[in-house]
Amino acid sequence: MTREWWKHLVLVLGAIVVLAPFYMMVSYSFKSPGEIDRGEGGFFGRQETMIDPRCVALRQPGRAEIEDASSRFPGQDDADVQAALLAETENDCSMRPVVFNYTKAFTEAPLLRYLLNGVIVTVSIFLIQVVVALPAAYALAKLRFWGRETVFGLVLFCLLIPVHAIALPLYIMLAKLGLTNTYAALIVPWTISVFGIFLMRQFFMTVPDDLIDAARMDGMSEFAIVWRVMLPTAIPALLAFAIFSIVAHWNDYFWPRIVVTGNRDLFTPPLGLREFKGDGDGSFFGPMMATATVIVTPLIVVFLIAQRRFVEGITLSGMK
Amino acid sequence: MAVLDAGAITQATAGNREARTAWGLTAPALLLMVLILLVPVVVAGVLSFTNYSLGNASFDWVGAENYERLFTRSTYEKMFIATFTYVVTVVPISVGLGLGAALLLHSLGRIGDIYKTIYFLPVMATLLAMAIAWEFMLHPTIGMVNRTLAMACGTWLEVVPFVANGCAGGFPLWLGDRDYAIWVVCFIGIWQGFGFNMVLYLAGLTAVHRELYHAAEMDGAKSAWERFRLVTWPALGPTTVFVVTISCIRAFQVFDTVEAFWPQGGGPNKSAYVMMFAIFEKGVQQNLIGMGSAITMLFLAFVMSLTLIQRWLVERKVHYG
Repeated sequence: MTREWWKHLVLVLGAIVVLAPFYMMVSYSFKSPGEIDRGEGGFFGRQETMIDPRCVALRQPGRAEIEDASSRFPGQDDADVQAALLAETENDCSMRPVVFNYTKAFTEAPLLRYLLNGVIVTVSIFLIQVVVALPAAYALAKLRFWGRETVFGLVLFCLLIPVHAIALPLYIMLAKLGLTNTYAALIVPWTISVFGIFLMRQFFMTVPDDLIDAARMDGMSEFAIVWRVMLPTAIPALLAFAIFSIVAHWNDYFWPRIVVTGNRDLFTPPLGLREFKGDGDGSFFGPMMATATVIVTPLIVVFLIAQRRFVEGITLSGMK
Repeated sequence: MAVLDAGAITQATAGNREARTAWGLTAPALLLMVLILLVPVVVAGVLSFTNYSLGNASFDWVGAENYERLFTRSTYEKMFIATFTYVVTVVPISVGLGLGAALLLHSLGRIGDIYKTIYFLPVMATLLAMAIAWEFMLHPTIGMVNRTLAMACGTWLEVVPFVANGCAGGFPLWLGDRDYAIWVVCFIGIWQGFGFNMVLYLAGLTAVHRELYHAAEMDGAKSAWERFRLVTWPALGPTTVFVVTISCIRAFQVFDTVEAFWPQGGGPNKSAYVMMFAIFEKGVQQNLIGMGSAITMLFLAFVMSLTLIQRWLVERKVHYG
């Protein structure tokens, strides 16, 4: 241990740099605008109740409200009633900074909708990828047919093409089909995962032929074999691929940025955050960091719970 | 004889049936592969010789004009400089840090797991969100970075010229300063990517046989450095080839940070005008599809040749040593 102290020193310094932006993100999501501006309050901020200026501005009592309320304050003149009403409003509009930041994150922009879109898009992409890739991988691994080598060669060639690189022609094709600003635009380019085909094919190669022959003896069709025999054997590889795919598409910003323009109903979480940043002024650092925290948290939490699986899944791309 | 014939025929029909099922099973994948991956490459290739714009009914063939511009205009010179600065900085450093962290963690055993978790966090986190967090960190006045630096003022740390200058005339603007902008983007690229390389190297390290180290020691490799040079590094050859290739491809695709920091223009004086941003700006925002396609083709050429070099190295089973 004594000889290893320098290793820990180096690693701890590295960990500080790695964690710094996470620390700041979560910390700002707790603090009031004033504390952020002045850089005080430690990690959690002081959590003194603060008054939301926008909320007060929105509920400025008018003539009618004052007259309505005068019965509640008998024997007082209008100025007093107004002052009392203002005090009430301020009371209603005051809250702890952490509550303020997170409620703003969900009310200023439809963050729940964005999160839902993120789930819809990532899950659809993954499911379609599997439905397309699994049968192909099975055929390439276990069936003998004329042209198999050519098809596999094509798979190897397509592995060279990153989808982000051909985003422009894909965008033009989708625009010509009138598909921009739809869920389809967000999903379609990712439906084919050559990496998935390659990965599953390598995995299926290791499945014994006897298993398949036995299934054929039982009168199963090839289609049924794919889903009822091969799929269960492939669960570990599939899980790894799922992690790989979901992490990539939940975090993807480039492609949604291209095909979704303006239609907030289709925003994925990163686009929503970008929009938030675009129209936020200085006092909105807190809510913005709350949004960022909400977007980043799901994957991080699942990662911390199932760390081993995640690392395996991400490293699996190294099996090539 | 007749029995034999019948057997051959059933076998042939069975083979036919197998082929038909096989094609049926691969057809969707094949179709999508062609439509989503191959056709766009051809489309980009064709459009790169035109002045096409979305919404226009027709277009003109402009020959190699787009490519000519790519190699003569100063904007694109800046694009190449920014892209290659990024790739040449981020790849070696993130691979080196990944290897260094993996070696340290490997030597520590299970206590090191906590660091592994921490270093892997940026890989999982949404890069766009983290870019915005970094932007706040680097805010010239209220950012944590400059505040921390300012704490060094008035202490012995002022002997460092950078600190002394900062205390006297203010610390850098970081994202607003064209001398720093691209380096900040590089730094975030390294920050985000080295944990991924570390995990790949850790997987590679567990596959190195213990006996090799004993053998090397027998042969007189006494120092840790000698053992690394003679055993570890050659054994990690295949991992290194893969890690370098995937880091290069990811580095070429840098976009999120640049777009988050500078939605218009790609950094002060276009100092962070990377290729993906150029494709986005020219092709999508400015609707200059011919130009965007030319950049796309060049980009594909870079990325594809990188992967081809990797495959060639793997097939030759080259072990660097």
